[in-house]
Amino acid sequence: MTASVGRIWAVALNTFREAARSKVLYGLVGLVFVINLLAVVVGEMSLTQQARVARDFGLAGISIAGALTAIYLGVALLYGEIQRRTIYAIISKPIGRWEFVVGKYLGMALVLTLAVVLFALAMVLLLRFQDVPLTGAVIRAVVLAWFEVLTVAAVAVFFSSFSSPFLSGIFALALWIIGRLTPDLRAAVASTHTPWIKYAAKGALAIVPDLHLYALSGRAIDGTHVSVNGTFVGWGYVATGALHGALWIGALLVLACAVFRKRDFV
Amino acid sequence: MSTAVVHVANLAKTYRTPFRRKKVEALRGVSFEVAPGEVFGFLGPNGAGKTTTIRCLVGLCAITGGEARILGQPVPSRAARARLGFLPEHPYFYEYLTVGELLDLGGRLCGVAGPERRQRAATLIERVGLGHARNLPVKKFSKGMMQRAGLALALINRPELLILDEPMSGLDPIGRKEVRDLILEQRDAGTTVLFSSHILSDVESLCDRVAICVAGTIRDIGRPRDLVDATTLDTDVRLALADDAPADAVAAISARGSAVRRMPGELVMTVAGADDVDAVLAFAHGHGARVISVTPRHETLEDLFLRRVADDGPRQELVS
Repeated sequence: MTASVGRIWAVALNTFREAARSKVLYGLVGLVFVINLLAVVVGEMSLTQQARVARDFGLAGISIAGALTAIYLGVALLYGEIQRRTIYAIISKPIGRWEFVVGKYLGMALVLTLAVVLFALAMVLLLRFQDVPLTGAVIRAVVLAWFEVLTVAAVAVFFSSFSSPFLSGIFALALWIIGRLTPDLRAAVASTHTPWIKYAAKGALAIVPDLHLYALSGRAIDGTHVSVNGTFVGWGYVATGALHGALWIGALLVLACAVFRKRDFV
Repeated sequence: MSTAVVHVANLAKTYRTPFRRKKVEALRGVSFEVAPGEVFGFLGPNGAGKTTTIRCLVGLCAITGGEARILGQPVPSRAARARLGFLPEHPYFYEYLTVGELLDLGGRLCGVAGPERRQRAATLIERVGLGHARNLPVKKFSKGMMQRAGLALALINRPELLILDEPMSGLDPIGRKEVRDLILEQRDAGTTVLFSSHILSDVESLCDRVAICVAGTIRDIGRPRDLVDATTLDTDVRLALADDAPADAVAAISARGSAVRRMPGELVMTVAGADDVDAVLAFAHGHGARVISVTPRHETLEDLFLRRVADDGPRQELVS
């Protein structure tokens, strides 16, 4: 067991090192700073709603940039190793293929965690600049966004275990968007009289992680309006969301490992 | 129970093409054994199945028939991979890593403890002559440096079996010599070496035994000198003959051989077999020629290799 942890850690550390040396990642961090600066400008234009705009822009920046980073890194995570043939020297060592997949995911999760922390720091700095107080609701929203990013990363890794980065990117992006629209899909199931739309919506709800759970500011939960600018969900909700994400991540990694185990590296 | 380091029996590998699911038989019952301490060469044209066999042995491809064992451990298994070192053909590594970081990763994957790992990495970096490049990322390495980094990575776990896929491919003569020396050094240290190569002179000079693989099957296996025909195929004769020698004398001597070349003061020709050589030399001497050299030519591994490939008919390259 300890040996297994050592091998997984070695792969995770290497994946972290690779991502940390990627220039694109620094570009994405820069993009989030730009989004937050945009929040300052839009906030000034809204006269009395600077705080609301700053929080909403900041959180949207974390969520969108985080998910895009997860997709960008995740889609090439396994496929790229095969394409670049770097996997030959690794898989021929005494490492299990599942250890390799889990290590790659954990390394990427480390990078994404660091990215979310940097994105959040950018938001906090600009909130302070605008004299907007940092509330518990914002912290809980950041934690939820973090779980969304980790779940999207697992989706991207799953697709990367069998398809090219381009196709994986399209699939992962589609699932992220559909996952964000689960309330609309449920509404479609309840209201539509067209059978194929009903079945398609039901099917999508069954196979897509509910990412709406993580980006709910400004929406209704059990008929109650929640917002980081007013009444927001408690830590109990955050824990439930985390568990939901962990289960999806676990299931997707198990599937990715099963696919990867069967692959021939030629 | 076989004491062989590598035991391969009736190994088969069938691929299916991605969309049409067409079957491609890359290996059709490959069998061979490699004894402890042996340097074993694996020869064959492109698509013969050498690389596929090696990929099956190191766990990169699943076996679809037959069986393989490494040091008594089934293939594929982690226990088998723990005791081997592998250098892939045209090795590619994480280009952002330095050679030290690469060896550290390899050592960690093999479960080598921290201080021991660092010490082995430092020794190997010096041994393969990359001391001057220890701080450079691998992406700045030349082909030869990449190959040497790969060899160091293959040796990080002090393997009992070293599997090298085309280790001399693309290297200049100095690079080839370095790899040859390293293989011999490993053999002297008791490591068993299995390697594939297209460079027949290297195989002939390095290997205790060779296997010739054609179209997914083994055609010949044994010691190089036992595989080739010991009888003299032909004899190269080099004669000193004055430039102003009579034309009819030159024509008469030339008629006794083939592939005749007239050079300043010399006549070079090939005499079939060995039986007529003495008579040809006496005849040439009688016409004023003097013998410079007589070189009998025996069948080489290359002749055998080409014969086996020719026996197989028109080349059909399989997935390698």
